[in-house]
Amino acid sequence: MTFRFIHTSDLHFGRRFGTFSEDLRGRLVEARHGAIARLAVVAGKHDAAHVLIAGDIFDTETPSPPVLRQALAAMAEHDAVHWWLLPGNHDSLAAESLWARVARDAPANVHPLTTAGPVPLGPGATLLPVPVTRRYPGRDLTEALDAMPSPEGSLRIGLAHGAVVGFEEDATGVIRPDRDRLAGLDYLALGDWHGAKEISPRTRYSGTPEYDRFRRSGRGSCLVVSLEGPGAPPRVAQVETGQFQWVDRRLDLLPGQETAAALQAVLPTGGRRDTLLSLRAEGRVRLPDRAALEDAAEVVAPEFGFFDLSLDSLETEFDAADLDEIDRGGALRSAAEGLRHAALDDGLADDERRLAAAALNRLYGYLRGGMA
Amino acid sequence: MRLRRIRLSNVRRFDAPVEVAAIADGLNVLSAPNERGKSTLFDAVQALFFAPHRSRAQSVMALQPHAGGGPEVSVEIETSNGLFLIEKRWLSRPQARVMHGARLIAQADDAEAWIASLMGGDSGPTGLLWVRQGLTSLDQRDGGAIEARRDLLSSVAGEVEAMTGGRRMDAALRRCREELARYQTQTGRARADGPLAAAQKDVSALADRHTALSEQIATLEQALTRRREIRRDLAELRNPEAAQFREARLAEATAALTRAERHAEALEKATEALALSKLKLAQTSQALDAIKAAQRELAEAKRVAEEHKATRAEAETMLAEAQARLVDAERAAKTTAGAAAEAGRVLNAALRHEAARESAHRRAELIARIERAEAVRARRDEAMVRAAKGPTFKQIAQLDELAHALATARRLHTATAVKITMAHMSEGAGGVTHDGVALPEGEPVTIPAQAVLSLRGLGQLSIDPGGQGGAATDVAEAETALKSALDRLGHAHRDSAREAAQARQVAEGEVQEARATFQVLAPDGLDPLRAALAALPDALADDSLPPSVEAQAAHDVAEAARQAAVAARESALSRVALGRERAARAAAAEEGAAERLARATTSLNGPNPTAREAELAAAHSALAAELSAAEAHHAELLRDAPDLASARAARDRAQSVIEAVRAEVGKLTLELGQLDTLIDLRASEAVEEELADTEARLVAARAHLERVTFEVAVLRRLEAALDAARTQARERYFAPVMAELAPLLRLLWPEADLRFDDATLLPSTLIREGQEEGLDILSGGTQEQIALLVRLAFARMHARAGHAAPLILDDALVFTDDDRIEAMFDALHRQAADLQIIVLTCRQRAFRDLGGNRLTIAPVSGEG
Repeated sequence: MTFRFIHTSDLHFGRRFGTFSEDLRGRLVEARHGAIARLAVVAGKHDAAHVLIAGDIFDTETPSPPVLRQALAAMAEHDAVHWWLLPGNHDSLAAESLWARVARDAPANVHPLTTAGPVPLGPGATLLPVPVTRRYPGRDLTEALDAMPSPEGSLRIGLAHGAVVGFEEDATGVIRPDRDRLAGLDYLALGDWHGAKEISPRTRYSGTPEYDRFRRSGRGSCLVVSLEGPGAPPRVAQVETGQFQWVDRRLDLLPGQETAAALQAVLPTGGRRDTLLSLRAEGRVRLPDRAALEDAAEVVAPEFGFFDLSLDSLETEFDAADLDEIDRGGALRSAAEGLRHAALDDGLADDERRLAAAALNRLYGYLRGGMA
Repeated sequence: MRLRRIRLSNVRRFDAPVEVAAIADGLNVLSAPNERGKSTLFDAVQALFFAPHRSRAQSVMALQPHAGGGPEVSVEIETSNGLFLIEKRWLSRPQARVMHGARLIAQADDAEAWIASLMGGDSGPTGLLWVRQGLTSLDQRDGGAIEARRDLLSSVAGEVEAMTGGRRMDAALRRCREELARYQTQTGRARADGPLAAAQKDVSALADRHTALSEQIATLEQALTRRREIRRDLAELRNPEAAQFREARLAEATAALTRAERHAEALEKATEALALSKLKLAQTSQALDAIKAAQRELAEAKRVAEEHKATRAEAETMLAEAQARLVDAERAAKTTAGAAAEAGRVLNAALRHEAARESAHRRAELIARIERAEAVRARRDEAMVRAAKGPTFKQIAQLDELAHALATARRLHTATAVKITMAHMSEGAGGVTHDGVALPEGEPVTIPAQAVLSLRGLGQLSIDPGGQGGAATDVAEAETALKSALDRLGHAHRDSAREAAQARQVAEGEVQEARATFQVLAPDGLDPLRAALAALPDALADDSLPPSVEAQAAHDVAEAARQAAVAARESALSRVALGRERAARAAAAEEGAAERLARATTSLNGPNPTAREAELAAAHSALAAELSAAEAHHAELLRDAPDLASARAARDRAQSVIEAVRAEVGKLTLELGQLDTLIDLRASEAVEEELADTEARLVAARAHLERVTFEVAVLRRLEAALDAARTQARERYFAPVMAELAPLLRLLWPEADLRFDDATLLPSTLIREGQEEGLDILSGGTQEQIALLVRLAFARMHARAGHAAPLILDDALVFTDDDRIEAMFDALHRQAADLQIIVLTCRQRAFRDLGGNRLTIAPVSGEG
């Protein structure tokens, strides 16, 4: 008999997206809240009775009452599934008050997992949760899984939150990558990493169901995990749940390239209103091409939920023909030449060069197409 | 390029077309009074070359006539490529056209571009140069008045810059500065209402909020930590095992305390018994000692009493003896005293008797002496009476002296006086008298003074000796003196006086003698003698008396006997006193001894002291044994005694631990309640959400600030670049223009010698009549002339470069005096040879002498 459940994590309710405009902020918050309903839909579609949330349900240890109550209410509404809530590092057990409130207010189908110990999920399946005790526990809490008992013949499903050793280069991961094997787990559901990631056939990060940053491009998703029986390899399907698409792209440009076309080429098509786009132009362009790129960006930007084109890393090439556009001679031309020289002078500090280049671009902007 | 013809239609006052035609090479002069349209012409030409036909700029609007409609300007120019006609119409149906003959070369924007290229295209001076009505472009730009005086360098430099900067440059710089002005003030500080200040404000406000929120969160975290601690502590405190342990410890300590207290009581009793035993022993040994001492005292008292009894008896015997002796001595004293008194009486009588006998001689002698003395005194008194009469010898001597003086005066008178000598006739003797005295015969008679001689029978003869008065007077005076002296002495003659004086001397000698005698008889006067006489005793007649010597001896014997008797009595008296004292003392001592004996006897009251002593000694040794037993018992108890204070402290501690736990539990429970409230409150405030949000916003705000800052830096950089380029251009044109300008500048000061500075290429000083003068401050006229000359220099420069530009002077040189105008005219003529210069002026008379081609504004005739 197949045991099927939904593996998800990192809902981060209560995140506010302060860097975005007021209306987009509201939409992003709303989209996060909507993830509950979408997860419930996925569960229903795949006939899964359980949603395992591997930590960071809440963004902070002290969510406001609306955030907390509305999340619990939304889960209560979808009472066909059981919601298993594991404290992560953002909402660790140190948030005593939070978990006390959850315990007090949780509806019957919502189960906060505040102690490390086996919990029966149904006939033949045992959930082995390891809640995060404090924001930075500094040790591998999943070690407890090794000795955690489960009924004979029952599936052992681990639920934990944190970084795996050696997985992220900069992070100080603590969870052993072979924990599934050491603890005899059929599946270890992990949270913390916002993108879906397979550590081993039995160990996975589900990623967040709704993205909240540009760190990687795409849409949030969840995992539908099917376990045929103890020891059998799990079958995992990734199902998209994200409303907003977060796109972080690089736009590589070359001198002489048609910049407006190059821009169009990297823009996502469709659903632009629900797309947040962060573009970093890199490489070198000629003066007019840069101006053309800016013009094109200005046209297309309003179509997107969010649009940002960073030209900080884009270098501008200034050739004589471009400078002719400013002036063919005289004082203006010599001013332009002076700025160009400074922009290209390797002996100058980067800041100086950037300033000179920007000043030249500006002068070009003033004089392009004749004087007003 | 050269202008050939200018045509205006529907421009300001010229609603009908007018034109200035036949503009020649070289110098052209349009001389007309004001308000005839010279300035309109000038503005129109400027608009044609610089205002795009679609422009609605102020300069274009200003061309429109009151009636409205589109102003039209056309100019015919000649270039190296031939004749061209440029036409422009603004505002209403605007258009621009360039014609080459009948051929349309360009129109609309193409025409504008054609014009722009004609004007030079590059940023250099335009192809058309002009000097406006008395204003230099420098002054226009600065908005300053013409009166603002400048030095030569700034004037020339300003003009060159105005000529070379280019309008695009100006526009770019202006726009750059406008944009910069949104961010910062002129002094380079962030504008209070600008985006830079706003971004800075955002960042600091968010940073503050971030800090505040972090603090709130820290408070919450502290509260959580504290609550965990309290819970842990409470759990420990409430642990039942620990509570049992504490109770057991208290029970144990209480039991120990009870034990210790009981022991302490026993010890106290033993201590009391010990003290009592010691007391009894001491009492007994005291009684024993007392009885022994009393016995010793009794014996001693007895001995002493007997001793004193003997002493007293002895003293009484001695007293009685002394008293008997005193009776004798007193009797003897009485007897001897009587005898001595009698002897004394006899002695006195004897002595008196002897004295009386002796005084009889003395009396007689004294009486005789007194009598003699009285006689002498009488004699003396009588002599003294005499001695008091008669003159003294001294007075006699004075008389003698006076007499002598008289004699002298008389002799002198006689010697000098008139002397008459009468020799009588016989019968006539005595017939002549003087003062009744007949003059002696033949004898000179002195006539001392007037004298009247009676001449008998003849009458009286008065003789006046004349000058003889002095001597006569002297004589008279001397006589008077003598006489008065005699009168005073009471004598008529000196002889009697002398006799009296002698008598007096005799009397004085008698007085002297009597006095000496009296002195011998009664040296102290008579009174002592009389007193001595009165003092003499009357003589007694008693012959029974012994002689005084005998009486004296008898008296001495009797007196000695009396004194011996007195001494004996005194001695007897002292002995009696001594005896009495000794007897009294002995009696007292005896009495004391008796008392002591009585006391000793009393103290030993009881029948049998010895038996008692033995009894006491036995009791004493029994008590001593009892004491040592008590001591041993006490020491034992003491040695085994538990420490009561420690036991009590242990019990108290056990008790206080339980109480402290109770108090601590109460306190912690209270604090826990408070913390619960605080945490519940804070935890639902979503402070951390807020913080995360603020953090994100802060990052965004910082990025924005960075962008704004960068923008400001970019604009500054651009401004600096443009400024630098303009300065550089000015400097680049400066030298060539100066080369052209130098000879022209000499025109301004034709009478002076100019010195040029090597660095600036400008004249630094001018030497007028050998005097050096500075060129620091220039008048308005000179500035105006420099503006003109700079343009001339540019025109020449252009001409040399092969593209000549016409130079239009619109009422230039208004501040210029006549001499300078001449010089300017010369300059214009000299330049006009290879340039086209158009002079517009209202100063018809002043410019009459300028010469050149005369122009007029004339209505267009026919088609035009």
